[in-house]
Amino acid sequence: MTTEQSKAAVIPTRPLKVTINGEAQPIEDIPEELMMLDYLHEYRNLTGTRFGCGRGMCRACTVIVDKPDGSSEEVRTCITGAHYFDGKTIRTVEGHAQRDEEGHIDALSTVQQQFLEHFSFQCSYCAPGFVNAATVLVERLQRKPISRSQLEGTISEALESHICRCTGYVRYFEAVRDAVLKTPGTTKEAS
Amino acid sequence: MNSRSILVMAVALGMNTTNAWSASADNSTLEQGRYLVRAADCAACHTQEGGTPYAGGRPMETPFGIVYGTNITPDKEYGIGAYSADEFYHVLTEGELPDGTQLYPAMPYTAYHSIPRQDSDAMYAYLMSLKPVNIEAPETDLSWPFSMRWTLNFWNLMFAGETPNNAEDQSDEWQRGRYMVDVLGHCGECHTPRNALGAVDTDQHLQGSVIAGYEAPSLTPDKLAARGWTPTALQTFLREGISDQGSMFNEMYLVFHHSTRYLRDEDLKAMSVYLMGEDPPDARVVDAEHSASADSPGRRHYLNVCAGCHGAQGQGVPHVAVAMKGNTTLRLDHPRNLVKVIHDGIDAQKFNGFERMQAMPGFADKLSSAEIAELVNFLRQSWGGLDAIIDAAAVDELTGNSEE
Repeated sequence: MTTEQSKAAVIPTRPLKVTINGEAQPIEDIPEELMMLDYLHEYRNLTGTRFGCGRGMCRACTVIVDKPDGSSEEVRTCITGAHYFDGKTIRTVEGHAQRDEEGHIDALSTVQQQFLEHFSFQCSYCAPGFVNAATVLVERLQRKPISRSQLEGTISEALESHICRCTGYVRYFEAVRDAVLKTPGTTKEAS
Repeated sequence: MNSRSILVMAVALGMNTTNAWSASADNSTLEQGRYLVRAADCAACHTQEGGTPYAGGRPMETPFGIVYGTNITPDKEYGIGAYSADEFYHVLTEGELPDGTQLYPAMPYTAYHSIPRQDSDAMYAYLMSLKPVNIEAPETDLSWPFSMRWTLNFWNLMFAGETPNNAEDQSDEWQRGRYMVDVLGHCGECHTPRNALGAVDTDQHLQGSVIAGYEAPSLTPDKLAARGWTPTALQTFLREGISDQGSMFNEMYLVFHHSTRYLRDEDLKAMSVYLMGEDPPDARVVDAEHSASADSPGRRHYLNVCAGCHGAQGQGVPHVAVAMKGNTTLRLDHPRNLVKVIHDGIDAQKFNGFERMQAMPGFADKLSSAEIAELVNFLRQSWGGLDAIIDAAAVDELTGNSEE
């Protein structure tokens, strides 16, 4: 048995096909037990997604899955296998800002901009999870607007499982509220 | 003497009676009463979620309608404050209120029937020592004909007073275990199948039943051993809510919190002797991954959405997620509980001390019924040592999706 063969026998792999931040990634043989977070870090060099608790609790590792029906959802990558994403389209924290042809950032997304303006980050460890969760929320409200009076409760419900240990949640909360209010079509007047 | 002063006098006398009783009960009686009330898991029905202990109001879904647990604090208006010790004993063991009203057998008086007077008095003393809570529990309102409480007299004639497993020649420890399991613990109320009239079927004592979509598994020695239980593991499970075989969830999680975690070691041991016998069968050991294909779709689902917490080799993560290796739920003949847990998830759990288990999400929106079936079959085959027997249609039926 050659070295290559014995390695393959120890770590079984399967091909993985995934689209990240609008780009179809090269199809590679990926260990079948690899978690998505490790795939992003080690195979794609996308290190913005954070390894926090490693057990699906803190949500720092959250990415966005864009579903075929146009909706989006949060998925925790530290506890979800890379192959769960086979054939799927995802966005990571690196994929929100608009970039020019050379890859330089032209403009931040509304959510990113509001987080900066409200000084929501301190150590930034939880930031990718919050950016993705807030983006999923804004997109959900664009598809299904709520009345203005329901907004605060909806934000709390959508983001309450994300953990931040430095700045507290008020700045995040206010930033997300402004991001929603600055995005047309997310809220409506109560009928 | 006018009627008002009679009333005042009666109330005063009643208060004196209860005060006298509580005052006369020494600390060891009160402690024993508290222990028995916990062992009998009175809180299961008589305490609302987040409510004052024993002030009533927890809704119990029965096939006949919703029954509400009553207030059993010593409140004279809504609780048991006006009961004498005699009356309490009668209600507890016969299911009949002092005014002759029959209780629905959601109150497990058929199990409590054998509680000795001395234990009843200790329970009474303890309950009477609690702070009265002046809250009225919601009224039970069953559909006709079950709304006619007088029909319960016939039900009682048919079913009350049946005591299963009354073996005189067994050891004192076994007898104590039987008392803890069958009488105080009223385990059979959930773990014994019921007949069409809602009575536990004593011919199938502790052989398992299905309640609100979940299976309360069989507690017979051979079935327990087949699912990996030893007497020691059972004692740990009851005391800690968690053991190598898994963690308590669904209704049993509440039983752990209200009752089994308070039980004394000698009583836990007695229960395990009663349940598994003086000479228990050997726990079945399942060879890891004995028959599941390494490339089955079920294994792929497992690696995709389960292994992050339960481990690629099913080893689990302490304080996060239980091991699949050795897990008792995987070994149940019927895959019902496994399907339900995967579909619905389990809320975060708190056990003794700092022991916790993290919330398990439901996978109803991540896995199709066909995928859940593949996953369940993989789990059964790899760590359950059982056959793959479920398909998408059966998953739909168990999760209530079949009519959509």
